Amino acid sequence: MHVTYSPEGIYLPDVDLWLDPRGSQPAAWLSHAHSDHARGSHGMAIGTPDTLEIYALRAGEAAVAQTRMHPLAYGESTLRHGARLTCLPAAHILGAAQLLVEHADQRLLYTGDIKLRAPLCGAETVVPPCHHLITECTFGLPIFHFLSREEAALRIQSFARQCLAEGDTPAFLGYALGRGQEIAHVLAQAAIPTRVHGAIARYFPWYQRAGYQFGDWQPYTSALSKQDAGSLPRALVAVPSFRGALQASAQRVRVAYVSGWASMDNARARTGAEELIPYSDHADFQELLDLVQRSAASRIDAVHGFTETFARILSQRGHDAHATTVFGERGADEETSD
Amino acid sequence: MDAFAALCERIAATSSRNGKIRLLADYLRPLPDPHVALAVQFLAESPFASDGGRTLSIGHSTLREAVMLVTGWDKDIVRICHRTVGDTGETLSALLHGFTRNQPLSLDAARQHYLSLRDTRKNAAKVQHLAHCFRTYRPSTLKYFIKVITRGMRIGLQEKMLVEAVAAATGADLEAVRAATHRCGDLAQVALAARAGTLHAIAARLFHPMDFMLAKPLDSLFDIAAPNHWAIEDKYDGIRAQLHIQQGHIRLYTRGMDDATAAYPDLAGEAWQGLPDCILDGELMAWRDGRALHFNVLQQRLARKRPGAALIAEIPVAFMAYDLLYLGDSMVLGQPLEQRRAALETIVAAKGHPLLLSPRFAAATLQDIERLFQEARQRGNEGLMLKRLGSAYEMGKRSGTWYKLKRPLASLDVVITAAEQGHGKRATVLSDYTFAVRDGDRFLNIGKAYSGLTDAEIRELTRILRGLVTERFSRVLLVRPEVVLEVAFDGIQHSPRHKSGFAMRFPRILRWRRDKTAADIDTLDRVRAIYQQSLDGGAPVASTLEDPQP
Repeated sequence: MHVTYSPEGIYLPDVDLWLDPRGSQPAAWLSHAHSDHARGSHGMAIGTPDTLEIYALRAGEAAVAQTRMHPLAYGESTLRHGARLTCLPAAHILGAAQLLVEHADQRLLYTGDIKLRAPLCGAETVVPPCHHLITECTFGLPIFHFLSREEAALRIQSFARQCLAEGDTPAFLGYALGRGQEIAHVLAQAAIPTRVHGAIARYFPWYQRAGYQFGDWQPYTSALSKQDAGSLPRALVAVPSFRGALQASAQRVRVAYVSGWASMDNARARTGAEELIPYSDHADFQELLDLVQRSAASRIDAVHGFTETFARILSQRGHDAHATTVFGERGADEETSD
Repeated sequence: MDAFAALCERIAATSSRNGKIRLLADYLRPLPDPHVALAVQFLAESPFASDGGRTLSIGHSTLREAVMLVTGWDKDIVRICHRTVGDTGETLSALLHGFTRNQPLSLDAARQHYLSLRDTRKNAAKVQHLAHCFRTYRPSTLKYFIKVITRGMRIGLQEKMLVEAVAAATGADLEAVRAATHRCGDLAQVALAARAGTLHAIAARLFHPMDFMLAKPLDSLFDIAAPNHWAIEDKYDGIRAQLHIQQGHIRLYTRGMDDATAAYPDLAGEAWQGLPDCILDGELMAWRDGRALHFNVLQQRLARKRPGAALIAEIPVAFMAYDLLYLGDSMVLGQPLEQRRAALETIVAAKGHPLLLSPRFAAATLQDIERLFQEARQRGNEGLMLKRLGSAYEMGKRSGTWYKLKRPLASLDVVITAAEQGHGKRATVLSDYTFAVRDGDRFLNIGKAYSGLTDAEIRELTRILRGLVTERFSRVLLVRPEVVLEVAFDGIQHSPRHKSGFAMRFPRILRWRRDKTAADIDTLDRVRAIYQQSLDGGAPVASTLEDPQP
């Protein structure tokens, strides 16, 4: 099956379909709703119902007014130009999916952003056998090892309890869509009340529909923070860019950073966090190797992250692996890929 | 060491200064004495107490090599991981994840490993020993096991805080702990004394050698962003030494050696009364008529443990002082460079010859540094030392606040006459070469080198050299003289070791000269000329500003 890579993104000419294109295209597969994957105004957008709804919410009504939404639930297939497109769970953020394209005896799998570990709620990742694998490798270096969801939940809960016991306010920084909701859910499971930044809370309805629970939570506003002296101590769940406001609030705030990048000590200097919890919605290095092995693909394209190094490692192990640079290099969109 | 590593992680994850001190004090309090000493020693970022003796001499590349051996990751992969993470101990322990047997490591066992590594001379054997450690223990512990070797914990624990934690853990008076630390500079010893209540008995550091601060090589002048932030001195071609002065008596310690005082009665016999107690860092030089004599001359003194009067008269020595480590009753390592220098100037002025003061220069531009470099060479010195203004003296460290600027004396085109297998990952290729210059139609060996070529070049050379073998002595293959190399070196001296009668200092391969044949190589006459020129006070050396080295 043909695949072309260009600055506009990944294109499958046989099926006339773009995969997470950078600009607006006639037909696009949206693997998930992060803004570096779901953007532009497309003629048709294919994705899971959650992805399409959140994409529409973020892009704005005007941008998607002309877009024909083609929802595809996990496990469902659709036919397009003689190819069968199947949507499979990717266990990244809510609604994230892989696309399996079957065309003339060839099977191509585009992972989008993916992890193999079980998510907190929802469907586990399925890796079907394929000939051609297009995978992300955001954490494609052998230094990245992440906690399991149970270990991560325990670390989040015990940091919160310890801070609250010492009269400090624990603050958790994580990306607005995905990490923030998971942290709030984990804290609610331990009956720890929270205050949640609006950029995170706006997606709560979709997450609740999928089974997440947020317990006793309040929206975080500066007005509230001033008047709530004496009220129930709460953990804060905020986005990384909120760090400055937290520090300026003059409360005794202690920050934890929950991210794949938190597996490196230099994350302390970058985020001001004292507690680093290396947990991610991306695959760590070993998971990426497992993904490649389980797919049994004969050709592998690495499209996001440490592509050169990861492709080299795969080549040394006898795979036909290639690095491409359709997406920006690591750093520019680090915020969305934690 | 496992609990120690866990403590370090907790200290790193605590942002409050008092919180860090409390964690450390709580950890130290119940430990038995020997473990308190070891933990404090390691937190002071050194595997052993500073005693001027042998050090680990394990560089980052040795550590990397051991990890490559255990994990199979190649150099490029390790390099990009290191660039991403930024710290050697952290990178290597992350790479070792999944390759270790996760056995416990005690503080005592860690110390035993450091001792064995120190006593292992060959780098290949050090790599093997490290690889054994890396396969055996937990990555989370190895992270700090390595950080002690690279002498940088990076957990936000300054020495001041370590001193406070020792006081808090032992119940000793903080001022008494501080004063004792200033007197002797050995925190592990102070911690034990604080516990035993014998801080008052801690003696001054005098007459116990300390580890020397070392300089990093400066690859290019362009790495110096602000020339006016650096103090500049000549880099002397003498013997690095520490001069301890106490109540009119001196002791002299050289790097990695014992007390060398007896070998220099011309220094010890001087009148040293009237000077404050102090420790000076500097260089022993052969010195006559206000000028340094060539290193080859000084070497004749080095060879004698108890020189006769005639030799002393012929080759007198002087001490060129450039730093001050201890003054009066306390260590002054933490004072800024300028302040130590000012005190040093007073001491040298009060004494005079044979105690000399290393002249200090300032530069506004890179061109100034270049000019100073050429002048230093004309004075017969090796090059320049650049020391960052405001910096502290870092015992035993090769820190980025001292740089040495040297350039090769010359380069020679030579021909390979013998080749040998390397060690470690170079065990299957011919990577060590003996080479010769030409004298008429004879080829006379002049040196041996094994660094400077790429892995690909070494593989290709191995194939070629195997086709040129004339004779075989176990590991060493004699080859027909056909392959020409360009070799750079920092100095040259007479030596019976090679047939040419000369030996090079620090020879390294610059490039493989595929364009030349054995007939084109340099001659023994050219070697003699370079030698003569170096005796006469420095051959001109190419400027790196105009002609960057490859």
